[in-house]
Amino acid sequence: MGREAGLDSAREVSWRQMDGLRRILREPVLAAAIGVIVASLFLFVIYPLVRVFQMSVVEDGRFTLHVYRDLLSKAFERRPLYNSLLLGVLVALAGTAVGYLFAFAIARADVPWKRFFRVIATFPIISPPFVLSLAAILMLGRKGFITRMLFQGQWDPHIYGLRGLVLVETIAFFPTAFLIMLGVLQAIDPALEESSLNLGATRWQVFRTVTLPLSVPGLASSLLVLFVESLADFGNPIILSGNFPVLSVQAYLHITGMVDFSGGAALAVILLFPTLTAFLLQKYWVGRKSYVTVTGKPSPARLSVDPMTRRLLLGLCLAMTGVILLLYGTVVFGSFVTLWGANYTLTLTHYVSVFHIGGRYLRDTLILASVATPVTGILGMIIAFLVVRKQFVGKGLMDLTSMLTFAVPGTVVGIGYILAFNEPPLLLTGTAAIIVLLFIFRNVPVGSRAGVAALQQIDKAIEEAATNLGAGSGRTFVTITLPLITPAFFSGLAYSFVRCMTAISAVIFVVSGKWNLITVAILGLVENADLSQAAAFSLVLIAIVLVVLGLIQVGVGRVATSQMGYEPSG
Amino acid sequence: MRHIVSVLAIVVMVAWVSPVLGAQVLHMYSALDTAETQLYIPEFEKDTGIKVEWVRLSSGEVLARLRAEAKNPQVSIWYGGPSQDHISGKKAGTSVPYKPPLDWGLQDNAHDPDWSWVGFYFGAIGFGSNTDFLKKAGVPAPTSWDDLLKPVFKGQIAIAFPYTSGTSYTVLATLVQMMGEDKAFEYWKKLNANIHHYDKSGSAPVTQAGLGEVGIAISFSHDLIAKGNAKGYPIISTFPKEGTGYEIGGISLVKGGPEPELAKKFVDWALSVRAQNLMQQWFRIPLNPKAEVAKGAVKADQVKLINFDAVKAGEDRDRLIKRWRSEIGQ
Amino acid sequence: MGAAVRLAGLRKVFEGRSGSGTVVAVDGVSLEVEDGSLVTLLGPSGCGKTTVLRMIAGFETPTGGEVYIGDERITTVPPNKRRTSMVFQGYGLFPHMQVYDNIGYGLRIRKVPAAEIRDRVFSMLELVGLKGTEARLPSQLSGGQQQRVALARALITEPRVLLFDEPLSNLDAKLRVQMRQEIRRLQQRLRITSVYVTHDQDEAMTLSDQIVVMHQGRVEQVGTAPEIYNRPRTLFVADFIGKGNFLAGTVRAVDGDRAEVEIAEGGVRAPAEGFRAGESVWLLLRPEAIGLGPAGTGRWQGRVAAATYLGSEIFYEVTVGTQNLLVKVGHPHGAIALTQGDPVGVIFDEGSLHLVRREVAA
Repeated sequence: MGREAGLDSAREVSWRQMDGLRRILREPVLAAAIGVIVASLFLFVIYPLVRVFQMSVVEDGRFTLHVYRDLLSKAFERRPLYNSLLLGVLVALAGTAVGYLFAFAIARADVPWKRFFRVIATFPIISPPFVLSLAAILMLGRKGFITRMLFQGQWDPHIYGLRGLVLVETIAFFPTAFLIMLGVLQAIDPALEESSLNLGATRWQVFRTVTLPLSVPGLASSLLVLFVESLADFGNPIILSGNFPVLSVQAYLHITGMVDFSGGAALAVILLFPTLTAFLLQKYWVGRKSYVTVTGKPSPARLSVDPMTRRLLLGLCLAMTGVILLLYGTVVFGSFVTLWGANYTLTLTHYVSVFHIGGRYLRDTLILASVATPVTGILGMIIAFLVVRKQFVGKGLMDLTSMLTFAVPGTVVGIGYILAFNEPPLLLTGTAAIIVLLFIFRNVPVGSRAGVAALQQIDKAIEEAATNLGAGSGRTFVTITLPLITPAFFSGLAYSFVRCMTAISAVIFVVSGKWNLITVAILGLVENADLSQAAAFSLVLIAIVLVVLGLIQVGVGRVATSQMGYEPSG
Repeated sequence: MRHIVSVLAIVVMVAWVSPVLGAQVLHMYSALDTAETQLYIPEFEKDTGIKVEWVRLSSGEVLARLRAEAKNPQVSIWYGGPSQDHISGKKAGTSVPYKPPLDWGLQDNAHDPDWSWVGFYFGAIGFGSNTDFLKKAGVPAPTSWDDLLKPVFKGQIAIAFPYTSGTSYTVLATLVQMMGEDKAFEYWKKLNANIHHYDKSGSAPVTQAGLGEVGIAISFSHDLIAKGNAKGYPIISTFPKEGTGYEIGGISLVKGGPEPELAKKFVDWALSVRAQNLMQQWFRIPLNPKAEVAKGAVKADQVKLINFDAVKAGEDRDRLIKRWRSEIGQ
Repeated sequence: MGAAVRLAGLRKVFEGRSGSGTVVAVDGVSLEVEDGSLVTLLGPSGCGKTTVLRMIAGFETPTGGEVYIGDERITTVPPNKRRTSMVFQGYGLFPHMQVYDNIGYGLRIRKVPAAEIRDRVFSMLELVGLKGTEARLPSQLSGGQQQRVALARALITEPRVLLFDEPLSNLDAKLRVQMRQEIRRLQQRLRITSVYVTHDQDEAMTLSDQIVVMHQGRVEQVGTAPEIYNRPRTLFVADFIGKGNFLAGTVRAVDGDRAEVEIAEGGVRAPAEGFRAGESVWLLLRPEAIGLGPAGTGRWQGRVAAATYLGSEIFYEVTVGTQNLLVKVGHPHGAIALTQGDPVGVIFDEGSLHLVRREVAA
């Protein structure tokens, strides 16, 4: 019987997929949906990347590697690569450590004010990441607030460069690590730690031999994800990198400053290697090795440490919180200051100019985000539904492609879009469409991840019952599945909206006179060292994001923040 | 209740979508400072009823964009930026000539022989120093290019990348024309040790000096004043005694741009007395002889200028930038 | 008249998860279900019964074989176009819809006019005893009530075949008994052809017109409850249904409808049931067919090894020679309670013996 099964299995595999395909072809709506999605993913995710790659290896119609050779032979072109990798590693380590600290404090040390710490630990997600660079300059620049107060201007913290970037990116990205680690800690079966105690282990031994090893997949995930986020970060380095060039900024400068498209494309491809590798490692290797036992509901916070340690952890959390509040607080203060560095009288002029001059940017950004977000949400849900519930040839590929924009840094995508859509028949540069498309396809993974998680929680029997009673795929999806994944849908919407509003690294390539974004404007202001102005704009942006999130929350009743912040931002 | 709020939210969001239709719109890249552009554009809009949608980019970036967009130009006009950059644009084929009807004579070096670009202001390169820094360091403000190499200024100078910024490229071209190419690069290599970091935008160093992030900014005199002491920062401007370079700020029409007629109107307006008078707010020296000069602005006869060949500078741009990148390593 | 449901050589092979090989879940199942009857697929978990059910419903596509409803071959018809209705193990009620909408769902899909839906839903509610609950959400109902909603939802579309996937396993014991009686009553009243899957023998025995015992993807035996219980054809069936004592033996001789079987404890005469001399057999003796008397009485002598008191009956383990026999003694009030070590006589009627083929390792 075994041999028979073996012969059948190969046939069986392709048979099942063909059968899946046959089933789908019998449902025209479904087949059309898949067709459209595949075509869109190809056109707006794969094709731009292909063009970037093409630009870096084709010269005068011939394949050549000389662009890479040129770049990599020069020390000053190699430096950004080393720098980016170094920065990525440091941020991954620091961010994971901070994230683990908060997660552990909340999930295992039962610190007071847990809700407050949760808010602090996830707040950086909703602000544009480069606001922190702005804050860093305000606080720790040579004429920074801290520098002057504490060090009388005697000590230069050298905030521009590696130091500043590590500080700023750690704070910007540790929320991701926090959410991953919190999820992991909450999913560990209490019985494992309890039985270890029961067998005589000290609390430290329990941590070392049970909790920590079981957290390892989460730690690995966190390290990899943060590494990718750091490499892809553009907003912070363009402000704060000083003499520490990084790949994302260099690729941008090659294209926008030097019209060196092949060089810029090559740098983008070089940037792509580590990020793609880390992403694939995380998705296919670490992500699968989950040691946690799913006990159904995430377990509530437990007290697994002695009082001393608890106080220590609480203290560390408070210290971190202090740093974060100080940074954002500086931005708030800075926005009311007439002329930072010279005249500290408080004024509202910057806010006036936000609406006076920046009104156009705000309007553009809101319109584009409002158009893109619902499309992103729906598309994400449909893809999630197809991936979780249907069988067909190429399903895995669709899943991977839709996730690809998480692994690909915005810089690369931005360059890809201006290369791919600059000539007929797909002439989109300068239009609103290109920005909206960028938003949609950069954020689709958010929606589909939330959808996949939600779908996996629905008892399959419910959808089968609908089918059994006569509903086709479309009807089942609309009348049964969709209502049940609504909370996930709205949380996906919320997070997509936030990402649209805070995006910079890809969209900076496609803004035009007709459609301009507030993040680009803020960046321009910071570059121009109009810090108070930039601070005011940033705060208005954050306020708008909070208002919209609030509206969505009221509209749904609950926004699952546990689903947010899992992926690279910007 | 929940439903009402959701509906309201949707209505509010939909209400945002109210694109401006009907009015004529001119699309522009402006190389002038954002704050400065915001002073002039509303006046133009008021005077002519033409709406302007503009993006602020450093001069070098504008050049790059125009070349990238050559097959599908997004804007009709390039406003601001030194003439040598506009000359590079002419060389790259992104501009189209236009001779504005003037009732006054424009000097030969203030416009392209074929009228591919038109000059509308003058500005000299200078040094802006933060007085607090000077006091603490115990040195006087630099008055020569050699002064900048002094060890006391290590890590205290800010300037932009010559490939993104027209300001910075003017400095490079000036040095090349003053000292000869090889000596100029030798000089810059030494200067590099004193530079804190490079900016994208040419006038950003001024604010950084004003903030005290750096001690000295190298930029155009109008920026030094407008963004420095006029704003309230403790900046004093000085000029190198060996001679300094300067820019004639230019405007050029973009070849294939969507609104050539509106662009022409803008050029006419920019050279009018009214528009030129507006430049007092930024301490730029106007070219229209009937316009007034702001008090405190630095005129051409107040500094030692070298004989700057903007055309050569424009033509050599690509080559010099390439050399700069490989020798300075940024 | 013909069968309402016919399965012909049904096969299902599953491709295992990355690297763990393939699983043959169903290995050649052929079956005929009479119109209006309730047939139970009974077997331990993993025997393939649920897979067979899902192939009838259309949620799994057979690797081989065919499914017929009446004369129509439905093997490749999509699940939403078959006239089969399924009651799921977890009920699969739509949590976001009221009872009324859950039940009426299938009718809405068939575009039945609203007034008619109303009538039919309400009469269905009465039929299953849920009058008055139409406005409630599933989360507001008890397990038993949810069960009935699931049943109502399945019945209202007047399917040709009703399918049950272990519908009672989530209910507590008493409710289970009550529900299965109701299901049976309803099924008989409506005369609807039903295929029922369960691993619970009592359920199978109570509900079914025919029981199909499955094991490792194959059909072991098809028969009525008495047939399955009294005359199991394989060791598996005999062991799976009820409790039994199995004594290894060999047929010495066959005389008419009796067979002489040699076992360790001596020779016995059992109904021949087609066995021939020389064949290896298991002698099946059900615990309730054995009586215990004072030592010295009965066929064999033994000693009580253990006693388990269950209220309405007592199970004794009695050692006879090298064998441990399970003996059920009902109505213990009248009997003397035996304790460990007591000698007893083992009494049984040879007519209640049953022979099952015994596989002998070659």
